[in-house]
Amino acid sequence: MVMETDVLIIGAGPAGLAAAYETASRGLDVTIVDESISKGGQLCQQTQILRTLPSPFLAMRGYELANTLINQLDEFSVRYLLGHRMIGTYKDGSIGITDETNVFPVNPKKIIVATGAAEKAVPFPKWTLPGVITVGAAQTLVNRDFVTPGKNAVIIGSSDFAMDVAIQLSDVGVNIIGIVESLPKILARDAEKTEHIMQRSIPLYLRSSIKEARGNGEVEEIDIQFPDRIMTEKVDLVCVDGGRTPILDAFYQLGCSFGFQEELGGWLPQYNEFLQTDCKDVFLAGNAAGISSQGALLITGRIPGVRVCEELNIISKQEAEHERASHWKELENLEAKLFPEKWEARLNHIKNYANPLLKDQFIS
Amino acid sequence: MHIKDHPVLGPQLQDPVTIYFNDQPYMAYKQQTVAAALIANGVKKFGLSRKLVQSRGLFCSRGRCCSCYMTVNGEDHVRTCMIRVEEGMEIYPNLEDPEVRGDGHGD
Amino acid sequence: MDKTTIICRCEEINCEEIEEAIGHDARTFDDIKRLTRCGMGPCQAKICISLVADVIHEQTGSHLHEIPLPRMRMPISPIKLETLATNSTTFSSVKSVMDEVELEEGKVR
Repeated sequence: MVMETDVLIIGAGPAGLAAAYETASRGLDVTIVDESISKGGQLCQQTQILRTLPSPFLAMRGYELANTLINQLDEFSVRYLLGHRMIGTYKDGSIGITDETNVFPVNPKKIIVATGAAEKAVPFPKWTLPGVITVGAAQTLVNRDFVTPGKNAVIIGSSDFAMDVAIQLSDVGVNIIGIVESLPKILARDAEKTEHIMQRSIPLYLRSSIKEARGNGEVEEIDIQFPDRIMTEKVDLVCVDGGRTPILDAFYQLGCSFGFQEELGGWLPQYNEFLQTDCKDVFLAGNAAGISSQGALLITGRIPGVRVCEELNIISKQEAEHERASHWKELENLEAKLFPEKWEARLNHIKNYANPLLKDQFIS
Repeated sequence: MHIKDHPVLGPQLQDPVTIYFNDQPYMAYKQQTVAAALIANGVKKFGLSRKLVQSRGLFCSRGRCCSCYMTVNGEDHVRTCMIRVEEGMEIYPNLEDPEVRGDGHGD
Repeated sequence: MDKTTIICRCEEINCEEIEEAIGHDARTFDDIKRLTRCGMGPCQAKICISLVADVIHEQTGSHLHEIPLPRMRMPISPIKLETLATNSTTFSSVKSVMDEVELEEGKVR
Protein backbone atom coordinates (compact mmCIF):
# COMPACT_ATOMS: atom_id res chain seq x y z
CA MET A 1 0.00 0.00 0.00
CA VAL A 2 1.43 3.37 -1.00
CA MET A 3 -0.23 6.41 0.48
CA GLU A 4 -0.60 9.34 -1.93
CA THR A 5 -1.14 12.87 -0.68
CA ASP A 6 -0.72 16.42 -1.98
CA VAL A 7 1.19 17.68 1.03
CA LEU A 8 2.98 15.66 3.69
CA ILE A 9 3.82 17.67 6.79
CA ILE A 10 6.31 16.19 9.25
CA GLY A 11 5.48 17.54 12.70
CA ALA A 12 2.16 18.70 14.16
CA GLY A 13 3.65 21.57 16.17
CA PRO A 14 2.72 25.23 15.63
CA ALA A 15 4.64 25.60 12.36
CA GLY A 16 3.32 22.32 10.94
CA LEU A 17 -0.25 23.28 11.87
CA ALA A 18 0.18 26.76 10.36
CA ALA A 19 1.48 25.20 7.13
CA ALA A 20 -1.45 22.76 7.19
CA TYR A 21 -3.92 25.64 7.47
CA GLU A 22 -2.43 27.46 4.46
CA THR A 23 -2.62 24.34 2.29
CA ALA A 24 -5.72 22.52 3.56
CA SER A 25 -7.88 25.67 3.67
CA ARG A 26 -7.24 26.10 -0.06
CA GLY A 27 -8.42 22.60 -0.78
CA LEU A 28 -5.24 20.52 -0.87
CA ASP A 29 -5.17 17.02 0.57
CA VAL A 30 -2.89 17.30 3.60
CA THR A 31 -1.33 14.56 5.71
CA ILE A 32 0.39 15.39 9.01
CA VAL A 33 2.70 12.94 10.76
CA ASP A 34 3.64 13.34 14.41
CA GLU A 35 5.40 10.98 16.76
CA SER A 36 3.26 12.11 19.68
CA ILE A 37 -0.33 10.99 20.07
CA SER A 38 -1.49 14.57 20.48
CA LYS A 39 -1.32 17.61 18.20
CA GLY A 40 0.33 20.93 19.02
CA GLY A 41 3.91 19.83 19.64
CA GLN A 42 5.80 21.57 22.41
CA LEU A 43 3.24 24.38 22.41
CA CYS A 44 0.86 22.21 24.46
CA GLN A 45 2.89 22.61 27.64
CA GLN A 46 3.66 26.32 27.25
CA THR A 47 1.51 27.85 29.99
CA GLN A 48 3.17 31.27 29.75
CA ILE A 49 1.44 34.03 27.81
CA LEU A 50 2.75 34.59 24.28
CA ARG A 51 2.51 38.30 23.56
CA THR A 52 3.89 38.79 20.08
CA LEU A 53 1.77 36.67 17.77
CA PRO A 54 0.94 37.40 14.12
CA SER A 55 -2.59 38.46 13.17
CA PRO A 56 -5.28 37.30 13.64
CA PHE A 57 -4.06 35.96 16.98
CA LEU A 58 -4.19 38.01 20.15
CA ALA A 59 -1.89 37.41 23.09
CA MET A 60 -2.70 34.06 24.68
CA ARG A 61 -1.12 31.19 26.56
CA GLY A 62 0.84 28.64 24.54
CA TYR A 63 -1.61 25.76 25.01
CA GLU A 64 -4.49 28.06 24.05
CA LEU A 65 -2.69 28.91 20.82
CA ALA A 66 -2.16 25.19 20.20
CA ASN A 67 -5.91 24.59 20.59
CA THR A 68 -6.70 27.51 18.28
CA LEU A 69 -4.36 26.18 15.59
CA ILE A 70 -5.85 22.69 15.93
CA ASN A 71 -9.47 23.87 15.89
CA GLN A 72 -9.07 26.04 12.80
CA LEU A 73 -8.21 22.89 10.84
CA ASP A 74 -11.39 21.07 11.87
CA GLU A 75 -13.41 21.89 8.77
CA PHE A 76 -10.73 20.92 6.26
CA SER A 77 -9.46 17.70 4.77
CA VAL A 78 -6.48 16.88 6.97
CA ARG A 79 -5.29 13.33 7.59
CA TYR A 80 -3.56 13.07 10.94
CA LEU A 81 -1.08 10.25 11.40
CA LEU A 82 -0.48 10.64 15.13
CA GLY A 83 1.74 8.14 16.91
CA HIS A 84 3.53 7.83 13.56
CA ARG A 85 7.03 8.93 12.65
CA MET A 86 9.23 9.28 9.62
CA ILE A 87 12.08 6.78 9.65
CA GLY A 88 13.80 7.87 6.45
CA THR A 89 13.53 8.20 2.70
CA TYR A 90 13.81 5.58 -0.01
CA LYS A 91 15.60 5.71 -3.31
CA ASP A 92 12.39 6.23 -5.27
CA GLY A 93 11.69 9.35 -3.21
CA SER A 94 8.97 7.88 -1.02
CA ILE A 95 8.96 8.65 2.68
CA GLY A 96 9.02 5.73 5.12
CA ILE A 97 6.47 6.19 7.89
CA THR A 98 5.98 3.82 10.79
CA ASP A 99 3.16 3.36 13.29
CA GLU A 100 5.55 1.10 15.29
CA THR A 101 3.87 -2.04 13.92
CA ASN A 102 4.28 -1.50 10.19
CA VAL A 103 6.35 0.65 7.88
CA PHE A 104 4.63 2.06 4.80
CA PRO A 105 5.64 4.49 2.05
CA VAL A 106 4.03 7.88 1.52
CA ASN A 107 4.37 9.59 -1.86
CA PRO A 108 3.58 13.27 -1.43
CA LYS A 109 3.64 15.87 -4.17
CA LYS A 110 5.23 18.27 -1.69
CA ILE A 111 6.70 17.77 1.75
CA ILE A 112 6.95 20.41 4.49
CA VAL A 113 9.35 19.44 7.26
CA ALA A 114 8.49 21.08 10.58
CA THR A 115 10.49 18.94 12.97
CA GLY A 116 11.27 21.78 15.35
CA ALA A 117 14.17 22.25 17.69
CA ALA A 118 16.23 20.05 19.98
CA GLU A 119 17.59 21.21 23.30
CA LYS A 120 21.35 21.22 23.65
CA ALA A 121 22.86 19.58 26.68
CA VAL A 122 25.25 21.19 29.17
CA PRO A 123 27.94 18.70 30.14
CA PHE A 124 29.66 18.61 33.53
CA PRO A 125 31.01 15.71 35.59
CA LYS A 126 28.12 13.30 36.39
CA TRP A 127 25.52 15.15 34.30
CA THR A 128 24.31 11.69 33.33
CA LEU A 129 22.87 11.08 36.82
CA PRO A 130 19.08 10.65 37.04
CA GLY A 131 17.58 13.95 38.17
CA VAL A 132 19.63 15.95 35.67
CA ILE A 133 17.16 16.78 32.89
CA THR A 134 16.64 19.46 30.26
CA VAL A 135 14.50 22.50 31.10
CA GLY A 136 12.11 21.35 28.38
CA ALA A 137 11.76 17.97 30.06
CA ALA A 138 11.00 19.69 33.37
CA GLN A 139 8.30 21.77 31.71
CA THR A 140 6.76 18.70 30.08
CA LEU A 141 6.61 16.91 33.42
CA VAL A 142 4.92 19.84 35.15
CA ASN A 143 2.49 21.07 32.48
CA ARG A 144 1.69 17.95 30.44
CA ASP A 145 2.15 15.05 32.83
CA PHE A 146 1.26 16.96 36.01
CA VAL A 147 4.25 15.68 37.93
CA THR A 148 6.68 17.65 40.11
CA PRO A 149 10.12 16.46 39.04
CA GLY A 150 11.83 17.27 42.37
CA LYS A 151 11.81 19.28 45.57
CA ASN A 152 15.01 21.33 45.38
CA ALA A 153 16.18 22.39 41.96
CA VAL A 154 18.92 24.36 40.31
CA ILE A 155 18.48 25.76 36.80
CA ILE A 156 21.51 25.99 34.51
CA GLY A 157 21.04 28.82 32.00
CA SER A 158 19.13 32.10 32.05
CA SER A 159 17.35 32.26 28.67
CA ASP A 160 13.73 33.40 28.49
CA PHE A 161 12.72 29.76 28.29
CA ALA A 162 14.80 28.82 31.36
CA MET A 163 13.17 31.69 33.26
CA ASP A 164 9.68 30.57 32.21
CA VAL A 165 10.38 27.06 33.40
CA ALA A 166 11.93 28.28 36.67
CA ILE A 167 8.74 30.27 37.37
CA GLN A 168 6.50 27.34 36.43
CA LEU A 169 8.48 24.95 38.66
CA SER A 170 8.30 27.43 41.50
CA ASP A 171 4.52 27.76 41.00
CA VAL A 172 4.04 24.03 41.62
CA GLY A 173 6.08 24.16 44.80
CA VAL A 174 9.57 23.26 43.64
CA ASN A 175 12.16 25.18 45.64
CA ILE A 176 14.51 26.85 43.15
CA ILE A 177 17.89 27.05 44.85
CA GLY A 178 19.34 29.20 42.11
CA ILE A 179 19.73 30.02 38.44
CA VAL A 180 23.29 29.48 37.30
CA GLU A 181 24.58 31.48 34.33
CA SER A 182 28.16 31.28 33.06
CA LEU A 183 28.01 34.70 31.38
CA PRO A 184 28.26 37.99 33.29
CA LYS A 185 24.64 38.85 32.36
CA ILE A 186 21.16 37.36 32.25
CA LEU A 187 20.29 36.04 28.78
CA ALA A 188 16.51 36.53 29.04
CA ARG A 189 15.34 39.50 26.97
CA ASP A 190 12.04 39.84 28.76
CA ALA A 191 12.87 41.95 31.81
CA GLU A 192 9.49 41.06 33.30
CA LYS A 193 10.58 37.45 33.66
CA THR A 194 13.73 38.41 35.53
CA GLU A 195 11.57 40.58 37.76
CA HIS A 196 9.29 37.63 38.54
CA ILE A 197 12.36 35.63 39.49
CA MET A 198 13.58 38.42 41.77
CA GLN A 199 10.14 38.76 43.42
CA ARG A 200 10.29 35.10 44.33
CA SER A 201 13.74 35.67 45.89
CA ILE A 202 15.28 33.10 43.56
CA PRO A 203 19.04 33.78 43.51
CA LEU A 204 20.63 34.49 40.12
CA TYR A 205 24.26 33.40 40.01
CA LEU A 206 26.25 35.02 37.21
CA ARG A 207 29.76 34.02 36.11
CA SER A 208 29.11 30.61 37.61
CA SER A 209 28.90 27.04 36.39
CA ILE A 210 28.44 23.53 37.68
CA LYS A 211 31.75 22.02 38.71
CA GLU A 212 30.36 18.62 39.51
CA ALA A 213 27.21 16.72 40.42
CA ARG A 214 27.27 13.87 42.92
CA GLY A 215 24.85 11.25 44.11
CA ASN A 216 24.26 7.60 44.70
CA GLY A 217 21.98 6.46 41.87
CA GLU A 218 20.52 9.94 41.41
CA VAL A 219 21.65 13.52 41.80
CA GLU A 220 21.92 14.57 45.48
CA GLU A 221 24.45 17.38 45.53
CA ILE A 222 26.10 19.86 43.18
CA ASP A 223 29.10 22.13 43.38
CA ILE A 224 28.53 25.58 41.89
CA GLN A 225 31.80 27.13 40.78
CA PHE A 226 32.15 30.89 41.22
CA PRO A 227 35.23 32.91 40.17
CA ASP A 228 36.46 32.93 43.76
CA ARG A 229 34.76 30.03 45.53
CA ILE A 230 32.75 26.85 45.33
CA MET A 231 29.29 26.49 46.82
CA THR A 232 27.82 23.07 47.54
CA GLU A 233 24.04 22.64 47.44
CA LYS A 234 21.72 19.70 48.18
CA VAL A 235 19.46 19.22 45.14
CA ASP A 236 17.34 16.44 43.65
CA LEU A 237 16.73 18.19 40.34
CA VAL A 238 19.08 19.93 37.92
CA CYS A 239 17.51 21.50 34.80
CA VAL A 240 19.93 22.31 32.02
CA ASP A 241 19.34 24.82 29.23
CA GLY A 242 22.06 24.75 26.59
CA GLY A 243 20.00 26.59 23.99
CA ARG A 244 18.24 25.01 21.04
CA THR A 245 19.24 23.85 17.61
CA PRO A 246 17.18 22.82 14.53
CA ILE A 247 16.42 19.09 14.18
CA LEU A 248 17.99 18.05 10.90
CA ASP A 249 17.69 14.26 10.53
CA ALA A 250 14.76 14.38 8.11
CA PHE A 251 16.48 16.97 5.87
CA TYR A 252 19.64 14.90 5.80
CA GLN A 253 17.64 11.87 4.73
CA LEU A 254 15.89 13.92 2.05
CA GLY A 255 19.24 15.01 0.61
CA CYS A 256 19.00 18.72 1.43
CA SER A 257 22.04 21.02 1.63
CA PHE A 258 22.95 22.87 4.81
CA GLY A 259 24.29 26.25 5.84
CA PHE A 260 25.36 27.66 9.16
CA GLN A 261 23.89 30.60 11.07
CA GLU A 262 24.94 30.83 14.69
CA GLU A 263 22.04 33.15 15.59
CA LEU A 264 19.50 30.69 14.15
CA GLY A 265 20.86 27.73 16.12
CA GLY A 266 23.86 26.60 14.04
CA TRP A 267 23.50 24.20 11.11
CA LEU A 268 20.21 24.46 9.26
CA PRO A 269 18.88 23.45 5.85
CA GLN A 270 19.65 25.89 3.07
CA TYR A 271 16.47 27.61 1.93
CA ASN A 272 15.21 30.46 -0.26
CA GLU A 273 12.52 33.11 0.23
CA PHE A 274 9.83 30.45 -0.30
CA LEU A 275 11.28 28.41 2.60
CA GLN A 276 12.07 25.84 -0.02
CA THR A 277 15.22 23.71 0.26
CA ASP A 278 17.43 22.88 -2.71
CA CYS A 279 15.40 19.68 -3.08
CA LYS A 280 12.59 21.37 -4.99
CA ASP A 281 9.67 19.50 -3.44
CA VAL A 282 10.98 19.80 0.12
CA PHE A 283 10.01 22.84 2.18
CA LEU A 284 10.57 23.69 5.81
CA ALA A 285 8.78 25.54 8.56
CA GLY A 286 9.25 26.67 12.15
CA ASN A 287 12.30 26.16 14.33
CA ALA A 288 13.73 23.78 11.71
CA ALA A 289 14.24 26.93 9.60
CA GLY A 290 16.02 28.71 12.46
CA ILE A 291 15.28 29.04 16.16
CA SER A 292 12.97 32.01 16.67
CA SER A 293 10.01 33.33 18.65
CA GLN A 294 6.61 31.60 18.70
CA GLY A 295 5.10 34.37 16.59
CA ALA A 296 7.78 34.12 13.92
CA LEU A 297 7.41 30.33 13.82
CA LEU A 298 3.78 30.58 12.74
CA ILE A 299 4.69 32.81 9.80
CA THR A 300 7.48 30.47 8.72
CA GLY A 301 4.72 27.86 8.45
CA ARG A 302 2.56 30.11 6.27
CA ILE A 303 5.28 31.05 3.76
CA PRO A 304 6.02 27.52 2.47
CA GLY A 305 2.28 26.78 2.58
CA VAL A 306 1.61 29.58 0.12
CA ARG A 307 4.40 28.43 -2.21
CA VAL A 308 3.15 24.85 -2.19
CA CYS A 309 -0.32 26.08 -3.22
CA GLU A 310 1.24 28.17 -5.99
CA GLU A 311 3.34 25.29 -7.33
CA LEU A 312 0.34 22.97 -7.26
CA ASN A 313 -1.68 25.60 -9.18
CA ILE A 314 -4.22 26.18 -6.42
CA ILE A 315 -3.57 29.90 -6.34
CA SER A 316 -2.29 32.29 -8.99
CA LYS A 317 1.22 33.66 -9.10
CA GLN A 318 -0.13 37.13 -8.32
CA GLU A 319 -2.12 35.98 -5.32
CA ALA A 320 0.88 34.03 -4.04
CA GLU A 321 3.17 37.01 -4.44
CA HIS A 322 0.72 39.24 -2.61
CA GLU A 323 0.37 36.73 0.26
CA ARG A 324 4.08 36.18 0.42
CA ALA A 325 4.88 39.89 0.61
CA SER A 326 2.48 40.34 3.50
CA HIS A 327 3.86 37.31 5.37
CA TRP A 328 7.44 38.52 4.98
CA LYS A 329 6.42 41.98 6.11
CA GLU A 330 4.83 40.53 9.23
CA LEU A 331 7.82 38.28 9.86
CA GLU A 332 10.05 41.32 9.69
CA ASN A 333 7.78 43.17 12.12
CA LEU A 334 7.89 40.33 14.62
CA GLU A 335 11.49 39.18 14.23
CA ALA A 336 13.49 42.27 13.33
CA LYS A 337 12.26 44.18 16.36
CA LEU A 338 12.55 41.42 18.96
CA PHE A 339 15.58 39.54 17.60
CA PRO A 340 17.33 41.79 15.06
CA GLU A 341 20.32 39.43 14.87
CA LYS A 342 18.05 36.51 13.97
CA TRP A 343 16.37 38.51 11.22
CA GLU A 344 19.78 39.52 9.87
CA ALA A 345 20.94 35.89 9.95
CA ARG A 346 17.79 34.74 8.18
CA LEU A 347 18.33 37.23 5.34
CA ASN A 348 21.98 36.20 5.08
CA HIS A 349 21.00 32.55 5.02
CA ILE A 350 18.62 33.15 2.14
CA LYS A 351 21.33 35.07 0.27
CA ASN A 352 23.58 32.02 0.55
CA TYR A 353 20.96 29.76 -1.07
CA ALA A 354 23.09 28.99 -4.11
CA ASN A 355 26.23 28.40 -2.07
CA PRO A 356 25.55 25.96 0.77
CA LEU A 357 28.42 24.93 3.03
CA LEU A 358 27.40 21.29 3.05
CA LYS A 359 25.92 19.52 0.06
CA ASP A 360 25.78 16.09 -1.52
CA GLN A 361 26.05 14.49 1.90
CA PHE A 362 25.25 11.05 0.52
CA ILE A 363 28.19 11.06 -1.87
CA SER A 364 30.93 11.19 0.70
CA MET B 1 4.49 13.96 43.28
CA HIS B 2 1.33 14.15 41.21
CA ILE B 3 0.10 17.74 40.72
CA LYS B 4 -3.55 17.50 41.79
CA ASP B 5 -4.39 21.14 41.13
CA HIS B 6 -2.24 22.83 38.50
CA PRO B 7 -1.82 26.59 39.10
CA VAL B 8 -2.81 27.46 35.51
CA LEU B 9 -4.59 24.38 34.17
CA GLY B 10 -6.51 23.38 37.31
CA PRO B 11 -7.29 19.79 38.36
CA GLN B 12 -6.43 17.58 35.39
CA LEU B 13 -5.61 14.17 36.83
CA GLN B 14 -8.77 12.10 36.75
CA ASP B 15 -8.35 8.50 35.65
CA PRO B 16 -6.09 6.65 38.07
CA VAL B 17 -4.40 3.40 37.05
CA THR B 18 -2.08 1.02 38.87
CA ILE B 19 1.29 0.27 37.32
CA TYR B 20 3.97 -2.10 38.58
CA PHE B 21 7.67 -1.23 38.77
CA ASN B 22 9.85 -4.14 39.91
CA ASP B 23 6.57 -5.85 40.89
CA GLN B 24 5.63 -3.04 43.30
CA PRO B 25 2.33 -1.23 42.64
CA TYR B 26 2.33 2.52 42.04
CA MET B 27 -0.47 4.94 41.32
CA ALA B 28 -0.45 6.82 38.04
CA TYR B 29 -2.93 8.68 35.85
CA LYS B 30 -3.93 7.79 32.32
CA GLN B 31 -2.54 10.81 30.50
CA GLN B 32 0.94 10.42 32.04
CA THR B 33 3.87 8.83 30.32
CA VAL B 34 5.52 5.85 31.99
CA ALA B 35 8.62 7.93 32.78
CA ALA B 36 6.59 10.77 34.30
CA ALA B 37 4.42 8.42 36.37
CA LEU B 38 7.48 6.77 37.88
CA ILE B 39 9.05 10.16 38.69
CA ALA B 40 5.77 11.16 40.39
CA ASN B 41 6.28 8.13 42.63
CA GLY B 42 9.89 9.04 43.44
CA VAL B 43 11.48 6.57 41.01
CA LYS B 44 14.18 8.35 39.03
CA LYS B 45 16.68 5.63 38.32
CA PHE B 46 15.43 3.80 35.25
CA GLY B 47 18.44 1.70 34.38
CA LEU B 48 22.19 1.24 34.17
CA SER B 49 24.56 2.25 31.42
CA ARG B 50 26.12 -0.55 29.38
CA LYS B 51 29.82 0.10 29.86
CA LEU B 52 30.42 1.96 33.12
CA VAL B 53 27.28 0.59 34.86
CA GLN B 54 26.14 4.04 35.95
CA SER B 55 22.57 5.06 36.73
CA ARG B 56 20.42 6.53 33.99
CA GLY B 57 17.00 8.15 34.00
CA LEU B 58 14.84 10.59 32.07
CA PHE B 59 16.86 13.32 30.37
CA CYS B 60 15.24 14.89 27.29
CA SER B 61 11.61 13.69 27.54
CA ARG B 62 11.40 14.03 23.74
CA GLY B 63 12.19 10.48 22.68
CA ARG B 64 15.64 11.50 21.50
CA CYS B 65 18.24 10.60 24.12
CA CYS B 66 17.12 7.02 24.90
CA SER B 67 18.26 7.42 28.53
CA CYS B 68 14.79 6.41 29.72
CA TYR B 69 14.88 2.95 28.14
CA MET B 70 13.04 0.37 30.27
CA THR B 71 11.36 -2.99 29.83
CA VAL B 72 7.61 -2.53 29.53
CA ASN B 73 5.19 -5.47 29.40
CA GLY B 74 8.05 -7.74 28.38
CA GLU B 75 9.39 -5.49 25.63
CA ASP B 76 12.97 -4.30 26.10
CA HIS B 77 14.35 -0.85 25.29
CA VAL B 78 11.08 1.05 25.31
CA ARG B 79 11.47 4.86 25.33
CA THR B 80 9.32 5.38 28.42
CA CYS B 81 9.01 9.14 27.90
CA MET B 82 7.03 8.47 24.73
CA ILE B 83 4.37 5.98 25.85
CA ARG B 84 1.51 6.46 28.25
CA VAL B 85 0.68 4.27 31.23
CA GLU B 86 -1.96 1.58 31.02
CA GLU B 87 -3.73 -0.29 33.81
CA GLY B 88 -1.58 -3.15 35.10
CA MET B 89 1.51 -2.21 33.11
CA GLU B 90 4.59 -4.12 34.23
CA ILE B 91 7.81 -2.12 34.14
CA TYR B 92 11.35 -3.23 34.88
CA PRO B 93 14.56 -1.19 34.78
CA ASN B 94 16.98 -1.48 31.87
CA LEU B 95 19.85 -3.17 33.68
CA GLU B 96 21.63 -4.90 30.82
CA ASP B 97 21.41 -5.58 27.11
CA PRO B 98 18.45 -7.75 26.16
CA GLU B 99 19.13 -11.40 25.45
CA VAL B 100 18.70 -11.65 21.69
CA ARG B 101 20.69 -14.74 20.84
CA GLY B 102 19.26 -17.24 23.32
CA ASP B 103 16.54 -19.86 22.86
CA GLY B 104 13.36 -18.48 21.45
CA HIS B 105 15.06 -15.57 19.76
CA GLY B 106 16.50 -17.39 16.73
CA ASP B 107 20.20 -16.99 16.18
CA MET C 1 36.20 20.98 30.47
CA ASP C 2 36.92 18.27 33.04
CA LYS C 3 38.50 15.29 31.25
CA THR C 4 36.19 12.76 32.87
CA THR C 5 32.99 14.48 31.69
CA ILE C 6 30.90 12.13 29.58
CA ILE C 7 30.24 13.57 26.10
CA CYS C 8 28.40 10.64 24.53
CA ARG C 9 25.84 9.33 27.03
CA CYS C 10 25.07 6.15 25.10
CA GLU C 11 28.56 4.85 24.38
CA GLU C 12 29.98 6.60 27.46
CA ILE C 13 32.82 8.37 25.72
CA ASN C 14 34.40 11.08 27.85
CA CYS C 15 36.06 14.35 26.98
CA GLU C 16 39.55 12.88 27.26
CA GLU C 17 38.77 10.19 24.69
CA ILE C 18 37.42 12.78 22.25
CA GLU C 19 40.54 14.91 22.77
CA GLU C 20 42.74 11.88 22.20
CA ALA C 21 40.97 11.23 18.88
CA ILE C 22 41.52 14.87 17.93
CA GLY C 23 45.20 14.30 18.84
CA HIS C 24 45.16 11.60 16.17
CA ASP C 25 44.00 14.21 13.62
CA ALA C 26 40.26 13.60 13.90
CA ARG C 27 38.62 16.82 12.70
CA THR C 28 34.98 15.91 12.13
CA PHE C 29 32.29 14.15 14.12
CA ASP C 30 32.54 11.14 11.83
CA ASP C 31 36.33 10.94 12.31
CA ILE C 32 35.78 10.82 16.07
CA LYS C 33 32.97 8.33 15.68
CA ARG C 34 35.19 5.94 13.73
CA LEU C 35 37.94 6.13 16.35
CA THR C 36 35.87 6.02 19.54
CA ARG C 37 32.27 4.79 18.83
CA CYS C 38 31.07 8.22 20.00
CA GLY C 39 27.55 8.72 18.63
CA MET C 40 27.00 5.06 17.75
CA GLY C 41 24.62 4.18 20.57
CA PRO C 42 20.82 4.11 20.54
CA CYS C 43 20.37 7.91 20.28
CA GLN C 44 22.59 8.02 17.17
CA ALA C 45 24.42 11.23 18.13
CA LYS C 46 21.25 13.24 18.79
CA ILE C 47 22.57 14.48 22.14
CA CYS C 48 26.36 14.53 21.65
CA ILE C 49 26.48 16.14 18.19
CA SER C 50 26.76 19.71 19.49
CA LEU C 51 28.94 18.74 22.47
CA VAL C 52 31.49 17.07 20.19
CA ALA C 53 31.51 20.08 17.88
CA ASP C 54 32.26 22.26 20.92
CA VAL C 55 35.21 20.05 21.93
CA ILE C 56 36.61 20.08 18.36
CA HIS C 57 36.20 23.86 18.33
CA GLU C 58 37.99 24.24 21.67
CA GLN C 59 40.82 21.89 20.77
CA THR C 60 41.54 22.88 17.18
CA GLY C 61 40.25 26.44 16.93
CA SER C 62 38.08 25.44 13.96
CA HIS C 63 34.96 27.53 13.64
CA LEU C 64 31.72 25.66 14.24
CA HIS C 65 30.73 26.18 10.59
CA GLU C 66 33.92 24.37 9.56
CA ILE C 67 32.94 21.27 11.50
CA PRO C 68 30.54 19.35 9.24
CA LEU C 69 27.46 17.47 10.40
CA PRO C 70 27.75 13.74 11.01
CA ARG C 71 25.91 11.35 8.75
CA MET C 72 22.33 10.87 9.84
CA ARG C 73 21.24 7.45 8.79
CA MET C 74 17.98 5.65 8.47
CA PRO C 75 16.19 4.87 10.73
CA ILE C 76 15.97 8.39 12.14
CA SER C 77 14.98 7.03 15.56
CA PRO C 78 15.01 3.51 17.05
CA ILE C 79 12.61 1.03 15.48
CA LYS C 80 11.99 -2.66 16.12
CA LEU C 81 13.65 -4.92 13.57
CA GLU C 82 10.39 -6.83 13.44
CA THR C 83 8.64 -3.68 12.25
CA LEU C 84 11.36 -2.69 9.83
CA ALA C 85 12.19 -6.06 8.34
CA THR C 86 8.96 -8.02 8.51
CA ASN C 87 6.21 -5.47 8.24
CA SER C 88 7.57 -3.09 5.62
CA THR C 89 5.59 -2.90 2.41
CA THR C 90 6.48 -2.08 -1.20
CA PHE C 91 9.72 -0.24 -0.79
CA SER C 92 12.59 0.46 -3.11
CA SER C 93 16.19 0.53 -1.94
CA VAL C 94 17.25 2.19 1.25
CA LYS C 95 18.67 5.55 0.31
CA SER C 96 20.86 6.23 3.30
CA VAL C 97 23.32 3.46 2.54
CA MET C 98 23.05 3.37 -1.23
CA ASP C 99 26.65 4.35 -1.80
CA GLU C 100 27.80 1.51 0.42
CA VAL C 101 25.59 -1.45 -0.32
CA GLU C 102 22.86 -1.93 -2.85
CA LEU C 103 19.91 -3.90 -1.58
CA GLU C 104 18.21 -5.62 -4.48
CA GLU C 105 15.75 -8.43 -4.25
CA GLY C 106 17.02 -9.18 -0.79
CA LYS C 107 20.64 -9.53 -1.90
CA VAL C 108 23.51 -7.42 -0.68
CA ARG C 109 25.90 -6.64 -3.48
